[in-house]
Amino acid sequence: MENQEQQASAADILTQAIANKLDYLSTMQAAVQHGDDRKIYELLDQVRYYQEVKKTRTKRAVNHLAELVDNIHPQISHYLSDNLIDYLGHIYPFFYYEEYTTGLFHIYFGNWWDRRLFGDLDVVNVRFDFDKTEYQKLRDSFALESQSQRLNTAKIEAVSAESERLQQLVDAQDDRDKQKAELRDQLKENSGKSSMPWESGKVKEERQAIIDQLTKLADEDEKALNAHKSIKANDDRILVLSKEDTILNYEKQSIRDAFDDFEHFEAHNASLYADYLNSLLGKSEGEVTVDD
Amino acid sequence: MINENDPSTLTTSGRLLNYNEAIKTGLETGLTFTKLMDQLIRTTDPDELVSAATQLADFQLDSDYVTFPHQYSNADYYLLFMSRMLELHDQGNQIILQSRDHREELTQQLTSLGDRGTFNFRVEPSANGGVFYRERATGQSLFYLNLERKMLRFNSHALTQLFVIDLHETVPAETVKTSVQVLIDFARYLKEDYGYSVDFNLLDAANRQNYAVRAADLPAGIVDRLFVVAAQNDYMLTNGVNGNGAEIILDEGVVVDIFNNQLSGQPEWVLTVHDDDQKISWFDVLLKYPFMRDWYLENLTELEIKSDPLIFG
Repeated sequence: MENQEQQASAADILTQAIANKLDYLSTMQAAVQHGDDRKIYELLDQVRYYQEVKKTRTKRAVNHLAELVDNIHPQISHYLSDNLIDYLGHIYPFFYYEEYTTGLFHIYFGNWWDRRLFGDLDVVNVRFDFDKTEYQKLRDSFALESQSQRLNTAKIEAVSAESERLQQLVDAQDDRDKQKAELRDQLKENSGKSSMPWESGKVKEERQAIIDQLTKLADEDEKALNAHKSIKANDDRILVLSKEDTILNYEKQSIRDAFDDFEHFEAHNASLYADYLNSLLGKSEGEVTVDD
Repeated sequence: MINENDPSTLTTSGRLLNYNEAIKTGLETGLTFTKLMDQLIRTTDPDELVSAATQLADFQLDSDYVTFPHQYSNADYYLLFMSRMLELHDQGNQIILQSRDHREELTQQLTSLGDRGTFNFRVEPSANGGVFYRERATGQSLFYLNLERKMLRFNSHALTQLFVIDLHETVPAETVKTSVQVLIDFARYLKEDYGYSVDFNLLDAANRQNYAVRAADLPAGIVDRLFVVAAQNDYMLTNGVNGNGAEIILDEGVVVDIFNNQLSGQPEWVLTVHDDDQKISWFDVLLKYPFMRDWYLENLTELEIKSDPLIFG
């Protein structure tokens, strides 16, 4: 008898648990059928939704129901991306998205030549996952602006200076040739000197000094010989650096046009989830009114 | 046995008759020539003009028995033909034909360019025939013309060397444009009125024209360079519409694209210039935008627009 009751209550509990899941899924299904993206987001993460959109302080118990749809996130993301990307298009007009596989989106910054792959768009969590290296470059580039410098200004100057040194080395070839001729004459003279025992140390020293100078000039000759190649390589490096500066400049300009400055841009990113869902809230209420 | 083809078998009167016939033929050739010259110089009918020029192009005036000591070269008839053709289209004042005092030789100047360029035709000695229109001082052959095969081919290398490089410092862009327009018009009449096959090359203003560049597999660095200099000049090089190249929007709706025209297999990088009126060519872009010109000239080894390889190979 008691056993049966226990059986019954266990069955009740399980039935209830299953009913909860069915209820969750059918609510989700209805939301999809009605195009109620806001409801879908609410169902996907109720804790976050109540904290950030409803701004309730009371903590809701985590019910793990959202885990039911974990393995259809790609389809959910694909579905939700339509409206989200429309919305983002107005606020972040400089981002372009490419769905490289169902529900997964690359973010490209800008439409200029060789624009950067800037990270991923996490549709389910309404979040940008920026590429850390690229993002840091942009942040640094904004910081350097106060010193009216670009990210690669110092590097470009260093490489240019090196090229200039190399060019001077090439230009000075005639001078070196003259010097070498003189030094060789001196060397001859030196070896012809009558070497009295008390003078031999001095002559040797002189000889070594001349040889050292000749070696130094020979080293410079060799560098000059390879200079053309090095200068060409430097030009290529400068091109890569200038290109990056140009891209960063376009990125900064885009951010300024849309957000005035980098801080406002970051603030917008931080509140993106709440802002987007609030915008959906307004929309769905509007739709209801029209329907009524 | 009397064989008319073998003089040794002929009687004296037979030989004289043969001789007489040869002279007659030679004189008739001369007469035909004078008729063709009359036609070339005087006709107001473009068809007759082309017909005279085509016949004179490889006319053999001398024969074994009759030779003419004073002769213009065949190349000169082309100059005459060109100026008459323009004259019949009311553009006769755009070129000046000059003859030398004591020699039968013609040269030509483009009126707007004045003595900064003197032009003539040079006969192509090979079996292909035809002539090259060239600037005498620099030897640049601007186009190739073959009346018999009804074809005209502009030479991008020579046009660039002469008009974009050599005359850049001394001649204003507008003047260059006016001068080159005369050559374009001449070619256009041949194409439109006589169905000539004409390659306008970098002078072609049609939007559909793909200007193939010399380095079929263009190194990426070259497009990068345009990106950087364009930004310095307040123009933005963007990703091309077709996704395999770049695009730059210049002023007044002029759009230049540079892209790989082959979706698979061997790459073929080309330039295009689009504008609503189809009036702007790559050549015009080079004249108008110093940064495009610098970029083109600095990378000419890779970027030079290809000319007909059969003619300018």
